Amino acid sequence: MAKLSLMFENKLVKEVPVGGRPVGIGRSPDNDLPVDNLAVSNYHARVYFEGGRLVVEDLASLNGTFVNDLRVERATLHDGDSIHIGKHHIKVDATGDAPVPWDTGRKASAPRIDETMVLDTKARREMVQQAAAMGERTQFASGRFKVATLIVLGGSAAQKEYLLTNKLTTIGKSSMATVRMKGWFKPAMAAQINQRDDGYYLGPGDKVPSVNGTPIPGPVRLNDGDVIEVAGMRLSFIYRD
Amino acid sequence: MRIASGGATDIGRMRANNEDCFRIVAPMSLFVLSDGMGGEAHGEIASALAVETVVKHCVEAQNNPAAPVFGGTQPGWSDKTKRLSSAVYLANRKIFESSEEHPEQKGMGATLTAAWIDGPRLSIAHVGDSRAYLLRSGGLQQLTSDHSLVAEQVRQGILTAAQAENSDMQSVLLRALGSQQQVEVDADEHMLFPHDIVLLCSDGLTRMVTEPEIAGTLQVETNPEQAATRLIALANDAGGTDNITVLVIRLDTESKGWFSWLRRGRKHANRNGSAGGN
Repeated sequence: MAKLSLMFENKLVKEVPVGGRPVGIGRSPDNDLPVDNLAVSNYHARVYFEGGRLVVEDLASLNGTFVNDLRVERATLHDGDSIHIGKHHIKVDATGDAPVPWDTGRKASAPRIDETMVLDTKARREMVQQAAAMGERTQFASGRFKVATLIVLGGSAAQKEYLLTNKLTTIGKSSMATVRMKGWFKPAMAAQINQRDDGYYLGPGDKVPSVNGTPIPGPVRLNDGDVIEVAGMRLSFIYRD
Repeated sequence: MRIASGGATDIGRMRANNEDCFRIVAPMSLFVLSDGMGGEAHGEIASALAVETVVKHCVEAQNNPAAPVFGGTQPGWSDKTKRLSSAVYLANRKIFESSEEHPEQKGMGATLTAAWIDGPRLSIAHVGDSRAYLLRSGGLQQLTSDHSLVAEQVRQGILTAAQAENSDMQSVLLRALGSQQQVEVDADEHMLFPHDIVLLCSDGLTRMVTEPEIAGTLQVETNPEQAATRLIALANDAGGTDNITVLVIRLDTESKGWFSWLRRGRKHANRNGSAGGN
């Protein structure tokens, strides 16, 4: 598998493999390859496989991405190439096979009723009731969809509580955010909560939030009583009766 | 915000005809997608009629903002959200009336999912199980709730999401355009941020390709039309049991930041130079 080695003054700082998903490079700590230098943008560049080739792409960084001393917006990488970002350089080891597109193991299954059909109101009521009865028997029923509440435990927000009635709730300093943070140096869009059929999912925004003390790099389903921390704010996620 | 969009539709690997239909009205930032159903060629008629009605109603409202609004709306909605909801309501009536007039079309119907962008505001209206997603900060957020039996069962706590994915009742819809004289339209609005990507797709994509795969493809392929084509290829690789339609809308800043003149200048210089492979 291909790998990237971050070097500073000829010393190895960090090594990361390039798998199916893009490797993010930048000053922000949530990058796969964080580069701690002021000349580096928060999200500076990324490296990924495309059609079996390894590609580097500059993410509109202020100071640019250089491959073998040539500034690039996007370039194919070869084994032994050197990417310069700020005062750091990244050695490219492109030996090994290109990975298959990444897969989380969850595979959507094929539909078994081939043609789409619509139920009329009566048939639909019967079918849902029948299914509900069946569900109760097999103990899957846990009641109707409940609306959750966010309670601000710490940090400064416009309100003390937020009822999560929207499909998408954003937390941040932006005037467009649902949960509006106050104070200096707060991110415009720190994190977001998506209401789905089976509950609420918290996902990162400009920051990686943590749930009950554990940072979450991707969306996770929230449970009653979870404590969310992001950008100096503490929130409690609860279902009220 | 700067908007780049592209879409594609494909018959898939199992079906004899493509009953999906989509339209991009770029000057208005209006995006409409429909998945038809019904025997013979009637699914195609239904989805085409749905898309045409929605586009026409929105275009007319641009010229005549006082045009009547159909169906129920909420007072908090923007004019565009109300208009879009009204357009979908009207599309239902058109399909219903057409199938009343032409007995051979009985039972035809369609899903419809539409997005209209006005500055930083995104309006969404939908009926059926074609979805709208928002990709932001690497995570895919679902903006629509499917009007299907299995989705309703998940909302009621009868099925888990995993059980719903394996159910053989996935094609059973509780709401679609054309099945009744009136329809309840789901509409909503969201604030957009730079670098957001909006995805509209028919169930031919979402039943075949996982959300992480969709998110990854949208991040890697920055050209909207190519991203749509690649997602369709993934769905076909996974079996392509239904028609697949994908619409990708990318949002970017107009670059009015403090240093943008500097950045733009540099980028420009770079384009003229010899750098930049690929």
